[in-house]
Amino acid sequence: MANERAVSARDRARAVRHAACSALRPGSFEAANLVVLVAALAAWASLWHLELGAAGLAPGSGGMQLARDFFGAALRPALAPVADPDAPPWSLALQALRAAAMTVALAAAALSMAVAGGLGLGFGAAGVFGTGRVGRAIAAVCRVLALTVRSVHELVWAVLLLAAFGRDELVAAIAIALPYAGVLGRLFSEMVEEAPRDAADALAQAGAAPWQSFLWARLPRALPDMLAYVFYRFECALRSSAVLGFFGFPTLGYHIAASFENLHYAEVWTYLYVLAALVLAVDWWSGRLRAEARR
Amino acid sequence: MRERDREIAALRRDRPCSRFVRTSVVLLALLALAGWLGSGFSPGVLTGERGRANALRFLGELRPWPLQEGVAVDQNAGTPAGPAGDLSLTWRWAARLWREQDAAALLNTLAISVAAVGLAGAAGALLALGAARNLACPCPFLPGGRSPGRGARLAWAGVVAASRALLVGLRAIPEYVWAFLLLALLGPTAWPLVLALALHNAGILGKLGAEVVENTDARAPAALRALGARRLQVVVAAIYPLAMPRFLLFFFYRWETCVREATVLGMLGMSSLGFLIAEARARNRYDEMVFHIAVAGLLVIAGEVVSALTRRFVRRA
Repeated sequence: MANERAVSARDRARAVRHAACSALRPGSFEAANLVVLVAALAAWASLWHLELGAAGLAPGSGGMQLARDFFGAALRPALAPVADPDAPPWSLALQALRAAAMTVALAAAALSMAVAGGLGLGFGAAGVFGTGRVGRAIAAVCRVLALTVRSVHELVWAVLLLAAFGRDELVAAIAIALPYAGVLGRLFSEMVEEAPRDAADALAQAGAAPWQSFLWARLPRALPDMLAYVFYRFECALRSSAVLGFFGFPTLGYHIAASFENLHYAEVWTYLYVLAALVLAVDWWSGRLRAEARR
Repeated sequence: MRERDREIAALRRDRPCSRFVRTSVVLLALLALAGWLGSGFSPGVLTGERGRANALRFLGELRPWPLQEGVAVDQNAGTPAGPAGDLSLTWRWAARLWREQDAAALLNTLAISVAAVGLAGAAGALLALGAARNLACPCPFLPGGRSPGRGARLAWAGVVAASRALLVGLRAIPEYVWAFLLLALLGPTAWPLVLALALHNAGILGKLGAEVVENTDARAPAALRALGARRLQVVVAAIYPLAMPRFLLFFFYRWETCVREATVLGMLGMSSLGFLIAEARARNRYDEMVFHIAVAGLLVIAGEVVSALTRRFVRRA
């Protein structure tokens, strides 16, 4: 300590500058700087293109009143329906929990379909069928299929499927499952391809068919990563399922929209808190599972 | 042979396996089962007589109108424009849609996503500094020396807790819900959409950024601290260069999702591709709707390609 204090402030500044300069050596840092600069310019140009200035962030007089009412209700979420004094206490809280259960159920059912589809697409794309002409063709088809379904957002799928089949919870689940199957398919195939091939090569040399070495050597190597990713997607599916409520399905989003449009802000906060708690619980669960599965 | 069996059994016994993972998998499977049984699915909507008829009618309406049965009628003038199945008419139809609607909406969607992820990255990077436990503490990277006072320890713990709580709250609310709420507060500009995306993604990028900062190699920051650098100097001279490449990988990964979401948020009523999709749907012009969806899909794919190239550039360097 005494030694350090003896160094004059100027020497200290010079030493810091020197260390900083050596940290600034060319390489990843320069590339990162360039990318940061371009991204910042692009963001600025985008704001300019959308004609967004800081003035637009101030709500108008009506918006100001709304903001006061809305945020004023944050600390006293409703437990009983605001408009119905005769309703039993806690009835709104119970309804929020029911909506939460519906949100989870829809997300889980959708995810189960997505995993099935994702396994098919991912394994096909990763070359279960070998590297012959047929195997490569199947891999290409699976890749294009996964790309197509995942390039369309789940809410857009919902709009499409609702128009085709009408409103049903199964339609909502399929709307979530389609893009998720595409995403899972892409990730599954990447994980299988990035996993070590040692065991698979050994099996192949022992005369195993492509599907055999895939099933018994390549797949087990990638399984922990795949599992961790499925749980992460469950978290995403939960959010998607909640948002599908805005399209009329009885999940949390439906109640958020309905209460907000009726100006019952205290109820909105109840649903928001339940949604946040749900997402955070699954966030913790999937985070812990990722840590365990990768060990 | 017995020897080998025993070896295999021992290998099987010693393989890494976690009770938590197994329980989680069983629990998720049970949830999925409950979802199938309890969500009120009616498979009849897909497989029933009416479902099939609906789907077939719908598929027919997805074709561009010049290719639909009967005489193609000019949508604007209401007069026959040419024989059905006329490909040049289809081409003109697509070109006009693109020129009059999709080109501008595509640019808006892209701008919304870029502006949002830019704001989210800036906010997330700042919040990450407050949420990183190795930086937001009384003596970052330099153990030993004077032990900090209780007040300083509590203050920094408060900074970490506040940053983390803010990040958690931001990312727990889906962007669509943010946009829905902000649209009522701010009125119909692009701000609600940009802010909604930025808030949610700032929460995610802040969390990931904090992990990146906590995982940076402590040697360079510790050396700077030993030379007497202040916290801000350490951040600028050591944390930024060490953590930024990895943060950028997450940044571009989030940008991909922003492009997807920017499309959809437009459905709430802003001039982006989602708005066109919702509007074509409201007019029952399913052929135009599919055209807009295809444009949005191509934008998402283009975003994925650009993001993958940029990430490779950052990773290679």
